[in-house]
Amino acid sequence: MADRSESDRLAQETWLQRTVRRPEIGAFIVMIVIVIALAWASDGKAFNALGLKNNIQIIAQYGIIAIGAALLMIAGEFDLSIGSMIGFAGMSMAIMLKWGLPFGLGEATPLTAFAITLAMTLALGWMIGTIVVRSGLSSFIVTLAFLFFMRGVTEVSFRLINKSTQVSGLPDYKEESWVAWSFGGEVFGWFYDAWYWLGSYFVSIGIERGDQWFILGGNLNRRGTQWVEGFDARFAWFIALALVAYYVLSRTQLGNWIYATGDNKDAARANGVPTNKVKIGLFMFTAFCATIFAACQVYENNTSDAAKGNLMELFAIAIAVVGGTLMTGGFGTVLGVVFGAITVGLVANAVFFIPAIDGAWFRVFLGAILLAAVFANERIRKRITGGI
Amino acid sequence: MAEPYLRVDKLVKRFGPFTALGGVDLEVYPGEVHALLGDNGAGKSTLIKTLAGVHQPTEGQIYIEGKPVQFRSPRDASAAGIGTVYQDLALNQLMSVTRNFFMGREIKKSFGMLDLDTMNQIAHDEMLKIGIDFSDPTQAVGTMSGGQRQTLAIARAIYFGAKVLILDEPTSALGQKQQMGVLKTIKRVRQRGDIAIIFITHNEIHSRLVGDRFTFLALGKVIGAGDAEEITDKEMRRLMSGGAEMGDLEQELAEI
Repeated sequence: MADRSESDRLAQETWLQRTVRRPEIGAFIVMIVIVIALAWASDGKAFNALGLKNNIQIIAQYGIIAIGAALLMIAGEFDLSIGSMIGFAGMSMAIMLKWGLPFGLGEATPLTAFAITLAMTLALGWMIGTIVVRSGLSSFIVTLAFLFFMRGVTEVSFRLINKSTQVSGLPDYKEESWVAWSFGGEVFGWFYDAWYWLGSYFVSIGIERGDQWFILGGNLNRRGTQWVEGFDARFAWFIALALVAYYVLSRTQLGNWIYATGDNKDAARANGVPTNKVKIGLFMFTAFCATIFAACQVYENNTSDAAKGNLMELFAIAIAVVGGTLMTGGFGTVLGVVFGAITVGLVANAVFFIPAIDGAWFRVFLGAILLAAVFANERIRKRITGGI
Repeated sequence: MAEPYLRVDKLVKRFGPFTALGGVDLEVYPGEVHALLGDNGAGKSTLIKTLAGVHQPTEGQIYIEGKPVQFRSPRDASAAGIGTVYQDLALNQLMSVTRNFFMGREIKKSFGMLDLDTMNQIAHDEMLKIGIDFSDPTQAVGTMSGGQRQTLAIARAIYFGAKVLILDEPTSALGQKQQMGVLKTIKRVRQRGDIAIIFITHNEIHSRLVGDRFTFLALGKVIGAGDAEEITDKEMRRLMSGGAEMGDLEQELAEI
């Protein structure tokens, strides 16, 4: 049996060997190195009570859009319009909150502003997806067109309706509206309560405030009261999106269709996978992620301006690649993207904890790690496809 | 002889002014391998694409178990029991064997969740039936040999109800040993007795090894047909070269 002996040549692997060969392993190692290096270089400040909150804020921000971008990339397409979609959604919500609903429908509430904006962004996502699959044009060029188009629409709308490219001084809706709270409020307060309790315990047994143990173990400010109350709500959104995306991609029929569409579209179609619907749905999903991103910004700070979300599409793609997603589609995991978001988020924020370094080093680092990730991903692809 | 499962009657397919098929007849019986031979451009691909529902015939009729049928899409054809295994096999290299096996027809539990255990088991068992004991159906198709991929695609077509299995040059682009593996697989499928196989090839030796019935195409027409006893080796070589006598060819070659 020629074929049988051939399959026997594939060695059975142990659990450890399997883990080492997982596609996320590269992103995981880089993440661990960054966490340790940052903790050391910042003298632990990057992971004290406030440092952790700030780091997770930016990690969650990147993560939300990177998950959308990664799923779309796995299905074989790009979306360069994410950043402009963020700007558009932020503009739409802020202007509605300030100037009322369109067509004289009266005052906007955080819920109506969000719902109408989401309807518009989903429609735009559907339109982008439909143009890409119907025309057969590269999504790179179609979404590049929408990058300019929507950024322009955002600015023009600001000037026409608001007479300025910035909305600020909106009332704080978080107190009375659960919608605003769910985007701009604070979550997981119990975590910081426990941390505060731990700090109080350290004080009671006489550990100095400057002590390393205290910096990482204490959530007390100078007056001895609780320092940080909770994480930003976007952390909860990031976790929820990551869990849903992980479940869908690795455990459901839709996930199988996403991989199949990105790997070989014709093969998928020949087997009855509705590849066009999958792609259009994922373009709508990136629009959804961009809208969540924008809603968190608007309701947290009660402001918006025309430059919001600038360059975010490129960060989203970079994070997806650092997380092990193949540029050519068909391969990638949500876990890897989460590692990528943590890595890039920490490095983006590092300048605040290590004042000695120039903030522009972040981009140098991102460029280098991106290049390394592309090479690593290519090696993985070759290993899987047998070197073709 | 029983009724043919699939019968093609005077099939014509034109693409604008170009006549790809000029009235082709074909009969395929269950439990038989029907070898379809012909040179490049003879119309083999057009014929199978028409049978697979990719193209619609310009004239002529396709019958399944004696009943006239019309395929508007590949889905119609596969619902009627025509399973096509294309040369590129319609496999995704980066995905696992199981995920490829069930691509587009996944087995689901509640909440759209895949029943991966059942799917792994079925993929393994179905491939074992036609000759490959594939221990780990979770490995990527990219790690399989060409012959194994061919077997996967055939097992998939059979599992999803193919009564006519169309194999588009399954032995081309394979090494000698793997070609033999594929021929063995074809023999095993034939042994089941309920599946008709259309085996498209350039290779007269391969077709001779497994074929029960032969049809030769040249320039969109059938130039010869018959069962294994009727067609002699010499006749076969003549028909393979598009009907030209080998003697003519030798002479032409000598003149150059």
